[in-house]
Amino acid sequence: MSTQADSIKGDSARRDFLRALAGVTGAAVAFSELSAIAAQAQDTDVESTAVAASGASEALTSTDHASALERMRADLERALRKPAEERHWVMVIDLRKCVGCQACTISCVAENHLPPGVVYRPVLEEEIGTYPNVARRFLPRPCMQCDQPPCVPVCPVNATYKTVDGIVTIDYDQCIGCRYCISACPYGARTFDFGDTYNQNAPEAEGLIVGKAKATEYEEATNFEYGEPRKREHDVSPIGNVRKCHFCMHRVKNGMLPACVTTCIGTATFFGDANDPESLVAELIGNPNVMRLKEELGTEPRVYYLT
Amino acid sequence: MIKRVLYILSIVALVIGAAGFYDRITFGHQHANYGSYVVWGLWVAMYLFFVGVAGGCFMLASLDVLFHVKLFKGVGKIALWTALVSLGAGLLSIWVDLGHMERIWKVFLEGNSYSVMWQLVWGYTLFAVVLVASIWLAVKSPASKLLTYLMGAGLFLAIFLSGASGALLGVQVARPFWHSGLFPVQIPIYSLASGVAVLLIIIGLFGDKSNPRRGQLLRVLAISAVVLQAAKLYFVWAEMSQAAYGNLEPNIEPIRQVLFGDYWWAFWILQLGLGSIVPIIVLLQPRWSKTGTIAALMGVFMLLGFAVTRANIVFPALTIPELEALESAFSGPHLQFTYFPSLMEWAVTIGTVGLATLGFLIGKDFLGLMDADTPQEVQA
Repeated sequence: MSTQADSIKGDSARRDFLRALAGVTGAAVAFSELSAIAAQAQDTDVESTAVAASGASEALTSTDHASALERMRADLERALRKPAEERHWVMVIDLRKCVGCQACTISCVAENHLPPGVVYRPVLEEEIGTYPNVARRFLPRPCMQCDQPPCVPVCPVNATYKTVDGIVTIDYDQCIGCRYCISACPYGARTFDFGDTYNQNAPEAEGLIVGKAKATEYEEATNFEYGEPRKREHDVSPIGNVRKCHFCMHRVKNGMLPACVTTCIGTATFFGDANDPESLVAELIGNPNVMRLKEELGTEPRVYYLT
Repeated sequence: MIKRVLYILSIVALVIGAAGFYDRITFGHQHANYGSYVVWGLWVAMYLFFVGVAGGCFMLASLDVLFHVKLFKGVGKIALWTALVSLGAGLLSIWVDLGHMERIWKVFLEGNSYSVMWQLVWGYTLFAVVLVASIWLAVKSPASKLLTYLMGAGLFLAIFLSGASGALLGVQVARPFWHSGLFPVQIPIYSLASGVAVLLIIIGLFGDKSNPRRGQLLRVLAISAVVLQAAKLYFVWAEMSQAAYGNLEPNIEPIRQVLFGDYWWAFWILQLGLGSIVPIIVLLQPRWSKTGTIAALMGVFMLLGFAVTRANIVFPALTIPELEALESAFSGPHLQFTYFPSLMEWAVTIGTVGLATLGFLIGKDFLGLMDADTPQEVQA
């Protein structure tokens, strides 16, 4: 855990500043008080990093969130320097930290310009027990990016396939929209783009109802899934195609974490290269409290849940 | 009279279908009631039904054209033609179901041979070629050796492809209700039974009443229908009892829906009652089974039953969420685990049925495919 603490440069600088300030004043009392504060800050840093790494369910601070993100970004940079076939992208979701805010779902919709009826990362909510002994459980469900994906071999035109770094991808220009892959997915992780838009039934009245044009502009804005710019136009892919989560590869390839990771307010979602032993995700999936969905099917999902 | 009614009904169905096709082409899949959860709907069920009829008709045609069974002499050409028309209707049903209809060529030129769907597309294309060539030779050169080879290959394809359409569902490990070795076995039986039902209609409605061979043929078809219906009921029992015995939710819930769900009547009244029990009772009676209109009506009931059977295979398995609480996790159009076909879907299907019926009538009346040797015109 000390290694993780050392890696957080910003916090170390703050501690140095406090120590220097104490030296300048020369006041013994003040020095001892500030030293105590600094020591406390150091302890907190070590502890909070440990929280991020171990997945403990203690209260989180903004420092924890920032430090986890910074570490994942550093992990990402290291991974991107490796050849693609040596990367093993995984996602880790700490179910004890997920508060069911659905920020990840919304950020995914915004990032990928998802139309109505298309969802990549819903958060499943379950109530367990009977009143008054009731608990709620939240389960974010991105695509599992299985290593043995049942959706891939069924595709009649090779439109869906695994990339060298393990992401199950859809070639929108190849997909014929037969939806065989949707029925083959054991996780319900694929949806079909029926061509719906949020504005399709919105009323129009010049001067009376405003905003439709602007909203339409937003809906038709270019999206960059799979690194290919696409505008939403009638009967043009991805309309008529099957769509799914791709771990925001268009962001990842540019050194950015997936949208759901950066927006998770509970620091419950982690992303990185499991082939890198120094990475945060490698540490997390080494925990004994790790599980994957429907492991008995042998699909080898790349999404791990901490329970 | 009956012929005129069928022509009129076919044209009315085509007009309704035109509205459906217009909607489908203009608005894509927006007005369909299947979605991202119940991902396949009426058109996929009808595809399975129509290709089943095609396979069954070919199997029966082989009794005449390939094996030269005397009793079936003369029915080969019209059975082959019905198979072709039905295959066309099936392929049309599945084609309109695609998100990008214009990309169908990719299955042929950029396909994945490991996919059961790819195998079916290629298989049915080959089957269509065999059918066209067989009809041509059966008309132009019935004694041709090539016709024998073609019919042999076609018979293999008819059986194998019927099994493969069962495997289309059976290979899916994600759907416990489908993931059973029974499907590739039972679908060829359903196909053969569908073919028998079609011949009951053709011979019952259009066979010459003065021809003694017609009554004999109807009786044989009726007995075949009863035996095949018994086999069908056994398969339904085997499938349901096996799944229910384990008492696992993903297995038992689709069965519960079929038997007691919103569309219980489709199973009890259409599939079991009209589709199986009534034909069994009626066709067991020698006099009724030899009465053309009654035999034809039973054929229609059987076909209706087999169409509903396909629907009861396809839909219920898809109405079970892969993960609990998936349905309530996100809301939007086409994200429901319930399904009943939309008006647009019905219209397209009605149009497809109309097209198939019209195609059959044209073949019968104008292409001379029911002449010379058919029971109606053989002199006693």
